[in-house]
Amino acid sequence: MKRYGLNAWFAMIGLVLMGALACAAPAGTALQSIEPSTIALGDSAQLTITSIGSEMPAITPPMVPGLEFLAVGQSQQVQIINGVTSARTTVTYQVIAQQAGVFSIPSALPGAEPVVLTVTRGAGSAPNGQAPGGSVQGTPAQPSSSLPADSTRQGASGAAFVRLRLSKHELYVGEMVPVDIQVGARDGMVASLNGPPTLNGDAFTLSKLPENPSRTEETVDGKPFIVFTWHTALVAVKPGTLSLTMDTPLTVRVRAPGRPDGGFFSGSGFEDLFNDPAFQSFFGASTQRDVTVSSAPETFTVLPLPTEGRPAEFSGAVGKFAVSSEISQDKAAEGDPITLRMRVSGEGDFQRVSSPMLHDADGWKTYTPTANFKPEDEIGYRGEKVFEQPLMSLEPGTRPVPEVHFSWFDPVTRRYEEAHTEPLTVAITPAAGGVPLASGAGAAPSGAAPNLAGPQALQAWRPDHPDEGSGRTRSLMPFYFQPAYWALPPLILIGLSTAWFWLRRDERQNRAVRVEPFMLPSSESLGEEMNAWAAAGNVQSFFAAARRALGAVLASRWNLTLPEVTTEEVVSRLGSDHEIARTFLVADEAAYSNLKLTPLDFRQWKQIVLRNLDDGTSP
Amino acid sequence: MSIRRLTGSLAAVMVLGIHGGDLRAQGPAPPVLPISAGNTAAQLYNSANAYARSGNAPLAVLDYERARVLDPTDADLRWNLHRVRESAGLPESSGWLGENGRFADPNTLYWVGITGLALGGGCVLALRFSPRFRGLLLAGTVLGIAAVGASAFNAAATSAVLSESIALRAAPASVSPVAGADALFQVPAAAAVRVLERHAGFELIRDSQGREGWVAATELAAVIPGPNDPR
Repeated sequence: MKRYGLNAWFAMIGLVLMGALACAAPAGTALQSIEPSTIALGDSAQLTITSIGSEMPAITPPMVPGLEFLAVGQSQQVQIINGVTSARTTVTYQVIAQQAGVFSIPSALPGAEPVVLTVTRGAGSAPNGQAPGGSVQGTPAQPSSSLPADSTRQGASGAAFVRLRLSKHELYVGEMVPVDIQVGARDGMVASLNGPPTLNGDAFTLSKLPENPSRTEETVDGKPFIVFTWHTALVAVKPGTLSLTMDTPLTVRVRAPGRPDGGFFSGSGFEDLFNDPAFQSFFGASTQRDVTVSSAPETFTVLPLPTEGRPAEFSGAVGKFAVSSEISQDKAAEGDPITLRMRVSGEGDFQRVSSPMLHDADGWKTYTPTANFKPEDEIGYRGEKVFEQPLMSLEPGTRPVPEVHFSWFDPVTRRYEEAHTEPLTVAITPAAGGVPLASGAGAAPSGAAPNLAGPQALQAWRPDHPDEGSGRTRSLMPFYFQPAYWALPPLILIGLSTAWFWLRRDERQNRAVRVEPFMLPSSESLGEEMNAWAAAGNVQSFFAAARRALGAVLASRWNLTLPEVTTEEVVSRLGSDHEIARTFLVADEAAYSNLKLTPLDFRQWKQIVLRNLDDGTSP
Repeated sequence: MSIRRLTGSLAAVMVLGIHGGDLRAQGPAPPVLPISAGNTAAQLYNSANAYARSGNAPLAVLDYERARVLDPTDADLRWNLHRVRESAGLPESSGWLGENGRFADPNTLYWVGITGLALGGGCVLALRFSPRFRGLLLAGTVLGIAAVGASAFNAAATSAVLSESIALRAAPASVSPVAGADALFQVPAAAAVRVLERHAGFELIRDSQGREGWVAATELAAVIPGPNDPR
């Protein structure tokens, strides 16, 4: 009994100690800090509240007049070691000062110390907390662009932004200006970039965007963004006060329908907490939507190139350039090609850098020049363009190479600059055999070993042809394969088909017309008519009736119209000895002469006509 | 030849044209040798001669081939092209069709074919619907058919040039269109190859021996450059 009583006392003491531990555990450790503790009016600080314990407490943002608290993020770590649960919860708020002063931020959790925030009236601070045009806090150690930043306008409910960084806003037509295009995507809220930024409007052209933009991290309005930067260049193509925006297609994660969007939570820190990507992805409450985010409009003043002082050979190059020249060799045989090389280096739009080089140079045969550009940066803003032109001297001796001029407009000095190649001379020795290649001599092929260059090889080559400019074509593509010429054959076929159907229709109509009036006369009616004319002694009408009746029969048989059954047609088809042909011939004779017939003749002709009529109409 | 056959020949020509157009439109082009606005056969031939004299066989062959598109009957051109190829140890690129089918300026033959189509079609119509001048119409029909046939033959022969490129320098032909891929064989400088396909800056080529491989597009220049091709 005594032993049991002692054990009971130990058990009671143990239970009391465990209860005390259990009561103390939820209190855990709470920390609260603010960084920085002093800010200028309009800037923001970051308040971090951390709770370490066995439970995850509900943390509510502090309420301090003059300060605004926006939930930035929340993280939770739970560990279970030997059955003991340990939870670490951290909630971060962006604290935005709305007025100057010293603010005491009370503890958000039991056990945490209040913190003090001093807000000074800083000069030049931009208003903060505004959705469009908010301030940007870049990562100081790693700037994503060396160019000055313009305003950042967030789109897609703050999930992304597009902005431009330019060195100048006043430029000349054709002037190339480096530009950085930056697309900021809030981590977790932007699922994907669906394409590179594109230019709006036709007043500017953009150089080719690099396939792989640089990637940095940046905090904008207290929110972390991943910023993609494309280094490229912009060229204005027309003068005036012009506006420019860039669009970027992307897919964002948005809150699913039904999530409170204002109302009770509007304006409180909870709204941002709901918007937090970690919060949304944790609860699976987001969907994806394709949107296009645009940059804030940038206004440019684009000046036209002055007409005053413009050199005649100005080809449109704008920038800062330097020109040098060289010749491939200073000694050559007559007929040997040499290469004149002009190098244009500097900064600007090299697509506008062009030169006709030499043309119609006295004593020189010139060929089409080639151009090759070697960029020194990824956007082609700096580099060197080399023009090469094969030349051939037509006369021996010390020959000066004519100067080549190049001019451009310098936007810094605001005037046209002009440069020319240095004076060069080439010593030309007479060609082997004393006959220049271009003259056409020495054209006979030889069996000598082929060698592309050298005087011996020249003898084996067929000479140059005189270029009279005839047959000049802009495209080498034969007409067969040019779309513009494909239409002609189908057009001809359509025309032929149309003619075919039209002629067929006409033929059918004519056939119908031919058949309809052929009321073939009967032998009885014709016999009576011919008897009447015979009795009257009218030979002309006698044969006219005969001819009409036989003509109708033949027209029907030959598929002709009645007027087409002429005496010539009948004679050609039947022969002149045929009774019908003879009838037609006599009928013609009777029509134009005073032919006389005896009654016997009338009877015989009547029998001939009726016999042929019966033959023609019988089936 | 019936209208149906005429239409068939024309369709064949048009199909070849569509194929060629698509082929030219694909892929970026390396800036090597610009075709200036307006070329003549003589200009290209003289330029090729200049390259040949300076020992630049690839550009010489390229300009000779381009000149040959405009004037395939130029004996001087064929001789000099033969010499350059011989010097570089390269085979002649044209087969039987290329040698025999390119017997005249293709643009002239295009108009010959068009005229033949109109003449032959018109004569067939006249023969069908009028009994007069049958001998003359028959002769016109035969002439028209011959003209269309000659044009179609020339188009078929010329179509091979659409996919022909010249190697600007010796380049490896690789097993796949990526940088650093295993090389299958070496394409010699100035060799004429047929481009079968384009992909990501590479061109699938077939050489005169029938071997196929991927070559960087910058190593090749098309004989007939596309509208946006700077070469």
